[in-house]
Amino acid sequence: MRNRQFTETLLTVENISLSFGGVRALSDISFDILKGEVRAIIGPNGAGKSSMLNCINGFYHPQQGAITYKGVRREQMRPHEAAEQGIARTFQNIALFKGMSTLDNIMTGRNLKMRSGIFAQALRWGPALREEIAHREYVERVIDFLEIQHVRKVPVGQLPYGLQKRVELGRALAAEPELLLLDEPMAGMNIEEKQDMCRFVLEVNEEFGTTICLIEHDMGVVMDISDRVVVLDYGRKIGDGTPEEVKANPEVIAAYLGTAH
Amino acid sequence: MAFFLEVLIGGLLVGVLYSLVALGFVLIFKASGVFNFAQGAMVLMAGLVLVQLLNPTYIGKWHFAGVAALVAGTIGVLALRALKPAAIAAGGGTATRRLPLLVGAGTGVLGGILALSAGGKGWPVWLAVPASAIVMVAIAYAIERIVLRRLVNQEGIILFMATLGITFFIDGFGQTIFGSNVYKLDPKVYFGIPNDPVFLLEGVFQGGILVNNLDIWGGIVAALLVGALALFFQYTRTGRALRAVADDHAAAQSVGIPLNWIWFIVWSVAGIVALVAAMVWGSKLGIQFSITFLALKALPVLILGGFTSVPGAIVGGLVIGAGEKLAEVYLPQLAKNLLGIPMSGGIEYWFAYVLALAFLLFRPQGLFGERIIERV
Repeated sequence: MRNRQFTETLLTVENISLSFGGVRALSDISFDILKGEVRAIIGPNGAGKSSMLNCINGFYHPQQGAITYKGVRREQMRPHEAAEQGIARTFQNIALFKGMSTLDNIMTGRNLKMRSGIFAQALRWGPALREEIAHREYVERVIDFLEIQHVRKVPVGQLPYGLQKRVELGRALAAEPELLLLDEPMAGMNIEEKQDMCRFVLEVNEEFGTTICLIEHDMGVVMDISDRVVVLDYGRKIGDGTPEEVKANPEVIAAYLGTAH
Repeated sequence: MAFFLEVLIGGLLVGVLYSLVALGFVLIFKASGVFNFAQGAMVLMAGLVLVQLLNPTYIGKWHFAGVAALVAGTIGVLALRALKPAAIAAGGGTATRRLPLLVGAGTGVLGGILALSAGGKGWPVWLAVPASAIVMVAIAYAIERIVLRRLVNQEGIILFMATLGITFFIDGFGQTIFGSNVYKLDPKVYFGIPNDPVFLLEGVFQGGILVNNLDIWGGIVAALLVGALALFFQYTRTGRALRAVADDHAAAQSVGIPLNWIWFIVWSVAGIVALVAAMVWGSKLGIQFSITFLALKALPVLILGGFTSVPGAIVGGLVIGAGEKLAEVYLPQLAKNLLGIPMSGGIEYWFAYVLALAFLLFRPQGLFGERIIERV
């Protein structure tokens, strides 16, 4: 529960509808994300939370509606364009490059920042080498920040689940994103791991000013770290506001606890 | 001793042919985690196009003009992309989406007219080879656009089935356009390489070692190709992007790797490797439809060398090429002398597969493949 004020809008979702064949995943969803805030999306399983995130970073193309990001209104965006625009994300079922080491995985996050030509890279001469070293330094900072120095060289396929989640966050951070989308960053973690992850998320938000949009099921965590919360149920938006407002919303309570009909 | 060396060298040079095809498989496997069954069909297609362009007496002049139009159209689209990348990348309005189509069609028609006005004469090698390469790029583009784009985030097996379909399509389409004759690709006429045997090391052994001139050139071409590919794929950002794409499509896209573009590049490179393979194979065997399945000899090569390794494809090809020839010649003798078992030939047909089987049992990742990591 935090009382912070934000004014500048970073992203606006307008009347998004998405269906797969006859299944309506999202109907007419609108909300906004303000620059600098921690915005949570919650809702029961199958509410359309991940679909919403996938629309924002261009994996899904909604049939209706548009998304305005940094003042540019788009009906469709491709995933690599989203990444170029400063949107980074993590996935619900960890999507890492399993054969690569922790270090290499996080280096892929720098992919878009590399500029030198193919031939210079192949021959490792001058500017390409300097560039590689500069990126490597940034990646080492990310690794230090997430406290995963000890597994730098380990192939991520061998790491325990909690650490894999951390590496995935590291890869997203390496891109120096403006908007960070986290899909259940704390799912399946024990209390200690959750506390660590909360700390990282808050530090990223406060120290780098990164705007964060996260999906999470642990209500304690959500209410503690988010500034505002969107609640989805069966693809509809049923609540939007500060954690207090959402907690008091009868529709939200009904969705989570069920009502006597 | 001279005979042994002769068999060994002969085998190694056949191995180069296997390596050339295996290379195409490796490139696509690295980039999409898919075993591309269509590589053999691409070798066939590249060979057919090249042979037709070199010698249009094989086909009518309208076919010839058609190929020329395709080449010109592809150059047009690629040039547009190079000159105005911003317009393509924006891709929002229908106007920008139609632009490449219009440019492609325009330059295509122009190319066709030019080819017709040339009277349908055969092109010289320096023109026909790059033109065939461009046809392969066009095919790669079509495959990405029509088939692969719809299969992002699907299982490897689904992509594999798709490449199976592509194989039979290309095979049948090739027959529809070019007919099913065996076309001769005479290396002496087109590349100035005499297809005669030469004798090496005549000072050391009596009578020297008999080697085919063409095979030596094949080896040199393969070596150059591998050098270039190794530089390109092992040490560049593209190389890292490739490994990423092969591992996880969604994750690769989320860090800003343009999946479709990478696939297009890789299929183009595989197409050009197919062209080189077609030139070498075609010079030896002629361009014929059996190439599609002959190319499956690359499978044991890949198992031996590792599916993800460019050097592995080369070493695997050489080991199998040399191994099967040596086995063919010496195994019956050995069996007879040591075990007293009579054995006749035909060994080179199964030797590669038995070797591959042994590798699957004892070293499934191959000689140079990435370790298969399994969390226990």
